[in-house]
Amino acid sequence: MRLIDFALGNLARRPARTALTVAAIALGIAAVVALTSIAWGFEASWQKANDARGTDLIVTRMASENSLPSAFAALEPGKTLLGYPHVHQVVGLLSEMLSVNSKAPPMFVFGWEYNSYLWDHLKLLEGHWPASDTEPVVLVGSVAAALLHKRTGDTLELEGHTLRVAGVFESAALVENGALLLTLTQAQLITDKPGKVNVLNIKLDGKASDSEIEELRTRVATSMPGFVAITSGELVSSNAIVRVSKAMSDATILIASLVGALVVFNTMLMSISERTREIGVLLALGWQRRTIMQLVCGESTILALAGGMIGILLGIAMTVGLEHLDLMRGKIEAVFSVQFLLAVLGLSLFLGIAGGLYPAIKAAALLPSRALRHE
Amino acid sequence: MNGPHSGLRKTVSSSRPGDAILRLEDIALHFDEGRTKAVNGIDVEVREGEFVALVGPSGCGKSSLLNIIGTLDSATGGRIYFRGQPYSTISDASLFRRQHFGFIFQSFHLIPTLSALENVIVPTIGCAGSAKALKERAQGLLSALGLQDRMGHEPGKLSGGERQRVAIARSLINDPDIILADEPTGSLDSINAAEVLDLLDGIRKENGLTVVMVTHAPEVSARADRVVHMRDGKLDTNPAEHT
Repeated sequence: MRLIDFALGNLARRPARTALTVAAIALGIAAVVALTSIAWGFEASWQKANDARGTDLIVTRMASENSLPSAFAALEPGKTLLGYPHVHQVVGLLSEMLSVNSKAPPMFVFGWEYNSYLWDHLKLLEGHWPASDTEPVVLVGSVAAALLHKRTGDTLELEGHTLRVAGVFESAALVENGALLLTLTQAQLITDKPGKVNVLNIKLDGKASDSEIEELRTRVATSMPGFVAITSGELVSSNAIVRVSKAMSDATILIASLVGALVVFNTMLMSISERTREIGVLLALGWQRRTIMQLVCGESTILALAGGMIGILLGIAMTVGLEHLDLMRGKIEAVFSVQFLLAVLGLSLFLGIAGGLYPAIKAAALLPSRALRHE
Repeated sequence: MNGPHSGLRKTVSSSRPGDAILRLEDIALHFDEGRTKAVNGIDVEVREGEFVALVGPSGCGKSSLLNIIGTLDSATGGRIYFRGQPYSTISDASLFRRQHFGFIFQSFHLIPTLSALENVIVPTIGCAGSAKALKERAQGLLSALGLQDRMGHEPGKLSGGERQRVAIARSLINDPDIILADEPTGSLDSINAAEVLDLLDGIRKENGLTVVMVTHAPEVSARADRVVHMRDGKLDTNPAEHT
């Protein structure tokens, strides 16, 4: 009989307590897996959308802590930017979170400059692109179309404006598939922000070196007060929603770690308290104190690893379930990586050792003669 | 019954029969800054292969003395020697205990969820050595104690006598030099008690083991080579006066 068999047998002796402890750890780990994968997925989805559009640099106001960059008048900054070396195109973009009707959850609405390169990466599944800048039509992402039950030719209400669905499109990025797309002029009209955009997308001529791009960024910062030129990655990582979701995931990891360690700690402390006499017998039989420590830490580690493995499966299941909820569909796309799941298992291992260490030390320090008299 | 046992190499080698295996000099165990004297100035010598019974009324310090001998407790005064080696020089009490002592308790102290065979193997967990050899040795011990058909049974499914026989097998698994038994028949009826004593005595004689047994039963102490009487933590040199 090996020590691990003995540890497993001890855990099996108290099935209800073992199951409750594993369940508590599993819930904590599931929350970590779900929130972290969603936070990463959210960031990855925005990154994918920005990359797919083919934008080299984005000019925006970065003072705002809003979920989306604050809107600004595009005309003057756009003209200025076009005068800078290597700037090939400057395209305005307006984003908002709007509700289509009282029943539907808010969704992203993008206004893109008509006939700009931003449209190039989209695939039209049905219908047609807007015929002009001012045509009162909307294009619906494939996920949004399913969520809203809209097809080409239907109408929908946005901020009191009735728009006809011109078509349904598909993008490489989930955030765009779950969105509504208008021409910039239409978006400015329905949001009552004429001439305004959230960001200006810059496409360079392809001849700019890294140092010239850096020079361009510096020039924007110095000659256009209040504006910054950043990469799409920088825009995504500075996005308030991304930052909040990452902060929530970090907080969940911290809370789940504390709760998990405390649960393991409490379980093992109760367990060794109940088994004081048995530990005394083991010591009397010649078990070394380090073997007692290995036993207790082994039991706590088995509990935590079992909780961790179940928690990972539960977390993946929860995330997949959330992705299919109407409220969340088209907004979240979880990202699971092997490294992340291994890190979660590592966290479980840490919880097991951390939670079991003090009870193990306490058990190993028992005086055999006193432990044998314990009632 | 001393089969090969590669897991344990004795740190103190054996001596000849009749030599002192244990020598206790002025052993004391005091509590509460000396106000409570569980053991007070005991001088005893135990020889190799001897069966010594420690007898005396409840609370006289028999079990405390046994615990001190077995390194389960530390004396607050005096010196003990094992084959001439002072206990004070023992660096690893657990290892020393495992190598030289086998314990038998009144209430068996078997682990309820383990089978009889597993209970016998428990003291070897964490030892080097072949698992197969240890299992075979445990099976051999249980068979020798008449439990060949009860090896897979958990303690709850065994009679009191059978449980104590499992405990005896467990005490022998590490090939000890001394068996320390604390009221081993205290929880048994007279028939089972006699059986257990017969077995223990047979094993002792066959293997040249030394037995130090705490008891207050006259029929048990009558089987011992020598009876050491205790009273109020001291040796009782005139036990007849107190009977």
